[in-house]
Amino acid sequence: MTRSPDKTIDLRGTPCPLNWVRTKLRLEEMQPGMVLEVIVDAGGPARNVPRSVAAEGHKVLQIESSNEGVHVVIERC
Amino acid sequence: MSQVYFDHAATTPTRPEVIEAMLPYLRERWGNPSSLHATGVKALEGIERAREQVAALLGAEPDEIIFTGSGTESDNHVLVGASITREARGNHIITSAIEHHAVIDTAEFLRDRGQRVTVLPVDSTGLVDPAAVRKALADDTILVSIMHANNEVGTIQPLAEIAGICRARDVLFHTDAVQTTGHLPIEVHAMNIDLLSLSAHKLYGPKGVGALFIRKGLKLVPFLHGGGQELGRRASTENVSGIVGLGEAARLAREEMSREIAHTTALRQRLIEGVLDRVPGVELTGHPELRLPNNASFCVRGADGESLLLNLDQEGFAVSTGSACTSGSLEPSHVLLALGLPPDLAKGSLRVSLGRGSTPEEVDRFLDVFPAIVERLRKTSPVPSTGAPADACG
Repeated sequence: MTRSPDKTIDLRGTPCPLNWVRTKLRLEEMQPGMVLEVIVDAGGPARNVPRSVAAEGHKVLQIESSNEGVHVVIERC
Repeated sequence: MSQVYFDHAATTPTRPEVIEAMLPYLRERWGNPSSLHATGVKALEGIERAREQVAALLGAEPDEIIFTGSGTESDNHVLVGASITREARGNHIITSAIEHHAVIDTAEFLRDRGQRVTVLPVDSTGLVDPAAVRKALADDTILVSIMHANNEVGTIQPLAEIAGICRARDVLFHTDAVQTTGHLPIEVHAMNIDLLSLSAHKLYGPKGVGALFIRKGLKLVPFLHGGGQELGRRASTENVSGIVGLGEAARLAREEMSREIAHTTALRQRLIEGVLDRVPGVELTGHPELRLPNNASFCVRGADGESLLLNLDQEGFAVSTGSACTSGSLEPSHVLLALGLPPDLAKGSLRVSLGRGSTPEEVDRFLDVFPAIVERLRKTSPVPSTGAPADACG
């Protein structure tokens, strides 16, 4: 079961790569082990943000689609 | 001997921390922030961090901040943009007689092209009367633009009250907060501000970069066209290092604001009281209490401001007369005239604006040299030392 997030940011409507940059800025503020949930639009953002998260060395815990968008749960490493 | 810098209302020295924050964006992170590759994204990171830092300073959301080239550009964007965006609703703009030229000249430009412009007077301390704003509002009013604090005499306007009046009538309220951002607390939403202009170099950041707060949901046509930068609200490749510098300056200002206010207010009072005590025939301009913490502005009877400036410069002090933008002119500034000062008296204006690095020793040294300069100039100046009543200077 995925841990409940320490912080959630809504990046729906925010284009690539701005959504990744804002995700990164939030992760930088967090301590290792903390969990960030980002909500992004389906399509390109839902593919690109998790890919950039992983490339930066953080852990993608869960990707879940809903009617409102795609929830990406990340552990700050 | 290095010069004592008492002209912080004109510009502030760039803080070393700001320069350090900027350097990576000149050396390594030089990419175009619009590029989708990693080199571009590194530059974009700097811009977005700065956007969050500026937003935090104003109590705004990051998406409500766009970066511009200056406070002047922000002012122009608002006045021209609001005139176009709201043209279906009306063409009336309200402003005050003591605004910066960036607002006044733009309003005149628009008036020449058919806008109706009301210029509200101020009282002898430089205050705009909120009741006068209420009275001037009409069905065709689209925008009210009143500065937060005046750059010459330092008077702080009752901004929240004026903005509240505008909000109740669904009229856009803009403020030029170039002199106050980072120096006085600002909460844009609590104060009902729709649009706010700021400039980096007035808060220890670099020159050539400003910002504009645009309240969420508010439509304002772009001033510059050509690219999709700033989410389509301001075309032009961003001044990345400058923006990063502004962000760092905003972060530092937010952290240190209460300390800076206490520091400059104490020095300002020391300077004002010292000048009024030691030099007869000098009067404070602007409001005695509702004034910028760092602003000490005077009228000196029987001396002209330009001579005061040049003599103080020779003694090692950088000050200003009228305002920095008009000090090349012998005419008294529009601000001093709007306060009701007789022109001959307004010519003896002097603005001393302190900063975070100013010291009591510097103020005391100023107080040591100033009386003799005034005395010397009064003996040689063509400006009469008597004539106007003693209370004519605010």
